Amino acid sequence: MKALARKRAIHVMLVYTGGCNGCDIEVVAAVYSPIHDLEQYNVMLTWNPREADILLVTGPVTKKIAPALKAIYDAIPEPKVVAAVGACAINGNVYKNLGGDLGPSTEIAGPVENIIPVDARVPGCPPRPEDIIAAAAAAIKILSGRSD
Amino acid sequence: MSAEDNDYSEFMGKGKARERTFETEIPIGFVHSALLEPYRTRYFVEDEIVKDCEIEMDPAYRGIERILEGMPVDRANIITERICGICSNGHLWNSVRTAEAGLNIEIPKAAQAIRVLAEELERIHSHLIFIAHACEVLGHETFAYRSFLMREPVMQILYMISGNRVNYAIPVLGGVRPRTQIAQWKGKAILEAMDKLDANLKKFIERFLADIMVMSRLKGVGVCDKRTAIKYHAVGPTARASGIDFDWRIKMPEYKDFDWDMVVLDEGDNAARVKTRALECLVSARIARQAVEKAMGDSDVLNRDWQLGSMAIQHSYIEVPRGELYHSYRLDDQGRIRHYIVRTPTVTNLATMEVVCVGDQLTDAVVTLATCDPCLTCCNRFVVIDERGRERSMTLQDLRRGGS
Repeated sequence: MKALARKRAIHVMLVYTGGCNGCDIEVVAAVYSPIHDLEQYNVMLTWNPREADILLVTGPVTKKIAPALKAIYDAIPEPKVVAAVGACAINGNVYKNLGGDLGPSTEIAGPVENIIPVDARVPGCPPRPEDIIAAAAAAIKILSGRSD
Repeated sequence: MSAEDNDYSEFMGKGKARERTFETEIPIGFVHSALLEPYRTRYFVEDEIVKDCEIEMDPAYRGIERILEGMPVDRANIITERICGICSNGHLWNSVRTAEAGLNIEIPKAAQAIRVLAEELERIHSHLIFIAHACEVLGHETFAYRSFLMREPVMQILYMISGNRVNYAIPVLGGVRPRTQIAQWKGKAILEAMDKLDANLKKFIERFLADIMVMSRLKGVGVCDKRTAIKYHAVGPTARASGIDFDWRIKMPEYKDFDWDMVVLDEGDNAARVKTRALECLVSARIARQAVEKAMGDSDVLNRDWQLGSMAIQHSYIEVPRGELYHSYRLDDQGRIRHYIVRTPTVTNLATMEVVCVGDQLTDAVVTLATCDPCLTCCNRFVVIDERGRERSMTLQDLRRGGS
């Protein structure tokens, strides 16, 4: 009963941690845009961590935002699934790995798995909305496996 | 240069000195439903009226200029694209344009047209995101979804041209990436899509401007008169909505052959800022159509006949969706980047809005901030390091105090 109810209303929270905004727009486009329309599968975008089931994290997690991300993760009730969306969230992309004379950026605390455990990864710079929908579907599967 | 040479003490630790105490402070951010991006606004409120406002833009600082220092120019160009995910083509184009002006590289005509096409398509999709975001903040979700619906064909065109939905990587030194040339069938498909988009946009704008609910929230709120706009150096559509008739496109040689006109409105309120952008979408569609006709079927899009060398400091300004974008750097003997500087439009636009939203109701103040189309990812690029090696971003107040 619990599992059925949960499956009917999956809430996704999007946290933006200092990337280039491309992934966020794609996530929002995947959820809101009437062409992709993730909401038709009962997946809703929320901004309240206490309501969320899936946490989508984009961006390479700057040092300033790392504590906020940790706090948001802690505030989400169990069971929860974290998906890292985009190359920045998975490995830090150009900010973490490339650099000229002065080396790569020192402002990055990420990638996301340095701060919170990650269950699903969506590669791409940025991932297409189709990929994000696939990730959400995969995350729902993990989620229903976790619920007791 | 020792640390003592730079005396920043007058900027440090002051923030905005609170001359008087306010009844309530409402902090919003870093992560909040009204903000898509991480920035923090502190509204100082008395009886629901905003008396003072302070915006903090630290969290998205990534230090891109620092990464770029000493990097080969062609590689650096691609990284500049990652400054922002909405105006990615604008950053890449301006970065490439800076080197091309310094090294006297000639660009084929079709390549020029394809760059303009990408920029105008980007302007359309950026403005539609803006309208969607503004409507969402207003609480009118139907218009927001409509706007997203119209945006999707534009993204599909860009995906068809470049192979990516956000980071198009269209300009390269000497022209555009050969994959992005506009073949006949592509050109026809784009023109067809533009016709549909035009019709939809016109209908949407008509309905949007006639909607009493939306207009009652937008009209006469957050009025930014011409003097304020000039004083705080508003740029782009935000300035044009306040009666400043300037657009970098009239100065850019790339746009010389195109037939278009500038949208300038005088009201300066929230409605005018939304309307300016809505009307600019139509203008951009017109330019894009001309660009397709110029580039269609032309396969000469890349000039490989140039040499990398040293270059003196070069400045370049272009008009991106949010206003004026400035890139500047010099190249050393090996063609490596030195002293990259980026200045993005949101820095000044948001500073303008910070002043303009004072006196509004709290609910309207959030909308006022949203109507300057803030894009914080590219905005945040200024860190002061004090004697003890502590880093701290400068707030708008610091800049204003230091600048004026």
